Amino acid sequence: MGKVCFVTTGATAPFTSLIESVLDPSSVDALLEAGFTDLLIQYGTAKETFDQHANVARERLRQKSENATLSIEGMAFNPDGLRDQFVSVQKSEGVVISHAGSGTILEALRYHISLIVVPNKQLLDNHQEELADAMERSRYLLKGDVTNLGPTILKSEGFRQEMNQFPPITSGKHRETKSFAAIMDDTLGILE
Amino acid sequence: MSATPPPPPKTLYTLSFLLALLTTTFVIASLRLLTLLTRQRHRSPAKRKTSKPNARVLIVLGSGGHTHEMFYLLRDLDTRKYAHRTYVVSSGDAFSGRRAVEFERGLEEKASSAAGKHIKSVVDSPPSPNNNNNNNNNNNNNNDTSEKDRDDTWNTGPSHYTIQTLPRARRIHQPLYTTPFTALQTFLSAFPILLSQTSPNATTFDLPDLILTNGPGTAVLVIYAALVLRFFNIRGAESRGKLRTIYAESFARVSTLSLSARLVGWCVDRFLVQWEGLEGSGGGRAEWWGVLV
Repeated sequence: MGKVCFVTTGATAPFTSLIESVLDPSSVDALLEAGFTDLLIQYGTAKETFDQHANVARERLRQKSENATLSIEGMAFNPDGLRDQFVSVQKSEGVVISHAGSGTILEALRYHISLIVVPNKQLLDNHQEELADAMERSRYLLKGDVTNLGPTILKSEGFRQEMNQFPPITSGKHRETKSFAAIMDDTLGILE
Repeated sequence: MSATPPPPPKTLYTLSFLLALLTTTFVIASLRLLTLLTRQRHRSPAKRKTSKPNARVLIVLGSGGHTHEMFYLLRDLDTRKYAHRTYVVSSGDAFSGRRAVEFERGLEEKASSAAGKHIKSVVDSPPSPNNNNNNNNNNNNNNDTSEKDRDDTWNTGPSHYTIQTLPRARRIHQPLYTTPFTALQTFLSAFPILLSQTSPNATTFDLPDLILTNGPGTAVLVIYAALVLRFFNIRGAESRGKLRTIYAESFARVSTLSLSARLVGWCVDRFLVQWEGLEGSGGGRAEWWGVLV
């Protein structure tokens, strides 16, 4: 199996600008440069956007060169979750590019994969941007921007080696972290 | 002329009596509440009981995101200590109920595989699954505990948990002005759940020892109901140290507290946030121990 880039746009609101951004020539070239062979996009309800931009990108790849092999596929929504997609990224040491919803972040990071999250700036009163910044500061993931995804894709290659483990084993500056289970025991006065 | 002054009208007596009664009630209630809340804060570790076997825990689940986070929080739940689980789901939320059943199935699998390991390596003294040692525990203590752990049983399976349904505090597109009524309904329905038998086959009734909550609005009302039971010490809720509450703010909240957090931060036993920027918020009560989910 080749190297997989999986893109997920979230189930609730269509995030068409992420689909457009990933299929933009600059992103596709970055993926090729980093040695990716498979681009799988979960487009949710935005099938038209995907079809339109995927066709343009495929056409461009065909014209570009003979050894530029990046297969572009799409999927709507998987009711059973994204486990299979995350596993294929994990095995191929690929990358996941995701909207910045906390649920997807928490799930994807359990697979210890390189993750780029892209906040949806069109969503108002949403804490995606804040969360993405905080997570990037803690070196759990990279934050990407819909207007310029290429450099972040290239950066994600080296990031796999230097990213911090999530959930953290220790965190905080001067102290050991406590697990939720330990806090429960503590509250009831159960000693280890 | 020594005419006695006419007696003040009866209504005046009633009014001043009511006023006095109200003031007294208010003062007593405030004092009681103050003792409840300050005692939580200053409880010293030295006074703690060393063991509390067969603890009952009540877990309030919410909509999709909150439920997900709750099960991440519970990933190390030790059924040897937390023998009875009550999951509270909102009416119409089939997803959270399914997740609870799934989670319990996972606990069963974990227990059976751990039991298998125990038989194999009794001599090797296997490390206990919770390796978050307290700082004051030295190595000797740890050995003692794992010795004891071996005799404990894993409390898993359908007789060790129950799923209860609570009317939703606020539906998604519900007009704001009707919220107080549905919230009141949720609040009142929380009492029978807190007071009901915590598992179908339980031989003895008891109140939950611990209530775990994160963001959903329903959780706010369950916490208030628990506070009322502790306030009046119903079934020894306060004197026996039952109905302790933990609120864990969502992982998605980095710099501002959610509405639920602001509503319960003052009255929960433990108020947990997951980002450093929120430490000490909610009137200085927010604890930060790193990301917990």
